[in-house]
Amino acid sequence: MVANYSANVKKLFPPCRVACPAHVNVQGYVSLIQKRKFKEAVEVIRRDMPFPAICGRVCFSPCEDACARVNLDQAVAIRALKRLVADIEREQGRVVAEPVPKKYSEKVAIIGAGPAGLTAAYELAKLGYPVTVFERMAKPGGMMHYCIPDFRLEKFVVANEIAYIKDIDVEIKTGVEFGKDITIESLKNDGYKAIFFAIGTQLGMKLNVPGEDLEGVINAVDFLRATAPGKKITVGERVAVIGGGNTAIDAARMAKKLGAKEVMILYRRSREEMPALPHEVELAEKDGIKFYFLAAPKQIIGENGRVKAVECLRMRLGEPDESGRRRPIPIAFSEHQYEVDMVIPALGQVVETSVLPPELINKEKRGPPIQVDPLTLETNIPGVFAGGDVATGPASIIKAVGAGKRAAVSIHRYLRGEDLRRDREEEKIEETTWVKDWRLLEKKERRYDAPIEKPHLSFEEAREYLERLKRQARFEAFRCLGCGPCAECLASMDLCEGDKAVVDESKCVGCNVCAVICPVGAIKKNEKGVAQVDEELCKGCGLCAARCPEKAISMKKLSNEQILTMVLTALER
Amino acid sequence: MRMESYNPPKIVCFMCNWAFCEEEMRVPYNVNIIRVICVGRMDPALVLETFINGADGVLLVGCKPPDCHFVDGNLHAERAVKMLKKLLALAGLEPERLKLLLTSPMEDKGFSHYAKEFSEEVWKLGDSPLGKEELLANLTAAKDAASAFRLRVLLGREEELTEFMNAYGEKIPEEEFDALLDDIVRAEFIRYKIHYLTRVKPHSVKELAEALGIKPSAVLRHITNMRRKGMIALDHVEGYTPLYKALEVR
Repeated sequence: MVANYSANVKKLFPPCRVACPAHVNVQGYVSLIQKRKFKEAVEVIRRDMPFPAICGRVCFSPCEDACARVNLDQAVAIRALKRLVADIEREQGRVVAEPVPKKYSEKVAIIGAGPAGLTAAYELAKLGYPVTVFERMAKPGGMMHYCIPDFRLEKFVVANEIAYIKDIDVEIKTGVEFGKDITIESLKNDGYKAIFFAIGTQLGMKLNVPGEDLEGVINAVDFLRATAPGKKITVGERVAVIGGGNTAIDAARMAKKLGAKEVMILYRRSREEMPALPHEVELAEKDGIKFYFLAAPKQIIGENGRVKAVECLRMRLGEPDESGRRRPIPIAFSEHQYEVDMVIPALGQVVETSVLPPELINKEKRGPPIQVDPLTLETNIPGVFAGGDVATGPASIIKAVGAGKRAAVSIHRYLRGEDLRRDREEEKIEETTWVKDWRLLEKKERRYDAPIEKPHLSFEEAREYLERLKRQARFEAFRCLGCGPCAECLASMDLCEGDKAVVDESKCVGCNVCAVICPVGAIKKNEKGVAQVDEELCKGCGLCAARCPEKAISMKKLSNEQILTMVLTALER
Repeated sequence: MRMESYNPPKIVCFMCNWAFCEEEMRVPYNVNIIRVICVGRMDPALVLETFINGADGVLLVGCKPPDCHFVDGNLHAERAVKMLKKLLALAGLEPERLKLLLTSPMEDKGFSHYAKEFSEEVWKLGDSPLGKEELLANLTAAKDAASAFRLRVLLGREEELTEFMNAYGEKIPEEEFDALLDDIVRAEFIRYKIHYLTRVKPHSVKELAEALGIKPSAVLRHITNMRRKGMIALDHVEGYTPLYKALEVR
């Protein structure tokens, strides 16, 4: 994906791939699932990002929101498909990746083994750089390991994905703290030519209300980190979680699972404005977690230094603010109390600025703590790049992966002395639009699939169940409309692999049959009255070649003559 | 096309790339699978050529309507098969030797089931009643007709004509189109049969009428038409009888 940039070549991607910050080849792996090539599907995902199983579980799936199938019935269950193929691959035993030979000698240091750092390391290692990742904690994975609870993302899944990254020869050094054990100078002295900061946002945001220092108030990030395996934490009987994001839901469910009798989530807006995934909210409700909306904490009341209650103000919703959500406005004299013995604020995270080298820190009050170029992720120090949550504020795994990939391209170009800005792949991506106003939508009938409940099964039944699941997956994958041009999925290298229609202009009579037949509208008559194929759009189906009255259209890879030869050899047998 | 009845029939199966997965296939040895990218990609002339080259049956496998990867490739295949069956019937070969199978990914039966079923159906049909020479002549004529402009353009335009409108703002009902297709297929088949026959040696109208089993006046009408199109020319006159010879069609 890197360095192969010829000027002005636009890239036509389907909406799902455009929406994905990491531009994962969704159509490609969905096509492979249609052919039941699950292992190859994982390979296709790994070409774009190293975490198929993790994203199959916890991604907020912007691809599904963009899916054009929504116009018909509902989006293709892309995330579920990804999870299934990744799980199948892991259960059957992951193929041990070959270490990539080191083509270049420039060493690259990456600070932080979270999704952004690991992705950058993965991409750079694939290019052939010796990469070292430095991690402060005992285990790599960052938030994926420490803050996403086990019931959403199993630790062995994270370990498995990181093992793959280690396989291709990325060195991960844990227990090394930046600022204490290493600095920019020490890294440069050790021969590292480029540094990528991906330390994320580690500190929980403060509530800024009186009583925050009482015993029993613990920030959601710290709380979740303390629940990681091997650690012990006692939860209160009645727990209030403040906030409406995924972290809040995770903390609330975790507290419930750890034995809290009653867990409530206090959120200052209403349910529609909650940033948490709707599915997660439903699960939390199933777990018996109570939601109190339009309640903002005013102060935390203590007794003998311990939390006794949270006092809240009732809110009402006003005009939408710049985030598009309606702004909560406090109602005067609406104070009310919830009796709790533990408060978990989950309002978001901020960068731990004390760790950062002072020259990187943004001097201005407003804006992110590190100023980076949004396109190239350069900082004000040459050779030092920063990306992921640390530069953009807390976001999601997939956005961090996107930043990691972006950084890898920049670092590669920086080390090769190329222009960092010219022809960035990110800028050339164009969405295919034909699927949106398309006759296809009338032709594809509505169809819903029945979800399969996962029951408790014996071994034999489980095998049958998996078989059914695979078939279900194939069925689900078939719902993909294939909005993009050729998905380069490797489904059948010999057959399609970018087969394209070619027009013999001397034979074309301009009858327009091909233009009518082409399912994607890739053929148009040009000013000479001759059919012209838009190679960018052509999917290589060959319908035009099969119907062209003058046989002026032929296929590059699988022409009629080749099919005939195949027939003859088949009949000779 | 000829087969000994104790041998299983030779079946060629053109299968859509997406239709069945390799895992789901256990196929009888007399069925040869050729993967094409979409079943709609099958050129009608190619199917006939497969028969000419000795296949006893041709099975086309595609995806059920909402599932086609190329929107309506399967429907294009359906139209082509409809026309091909007419051509086969004219050529004297049982139309049942050609089958279009559209499957869905949720199908319980694997491909082997359908392959066996079709293989048995073809086996029951046995040998073609026609002689080898005649069958070859008929099939070649059918193939030539299927590769010529008129049928192809009609096939390519069928959807547009029956579902939308033609250039004059008319919508043709399906039955009407079917009747039209019938006429044109028959006419094209006869013309290309004449072309085939006259390719070897010059024929008179009377001889042609005998060979084709139709009235001499009808043959003459076709010949007039073909001369206009440059398919045939007057070779010489024997006594008072003109003899015609085929011209090379481009």
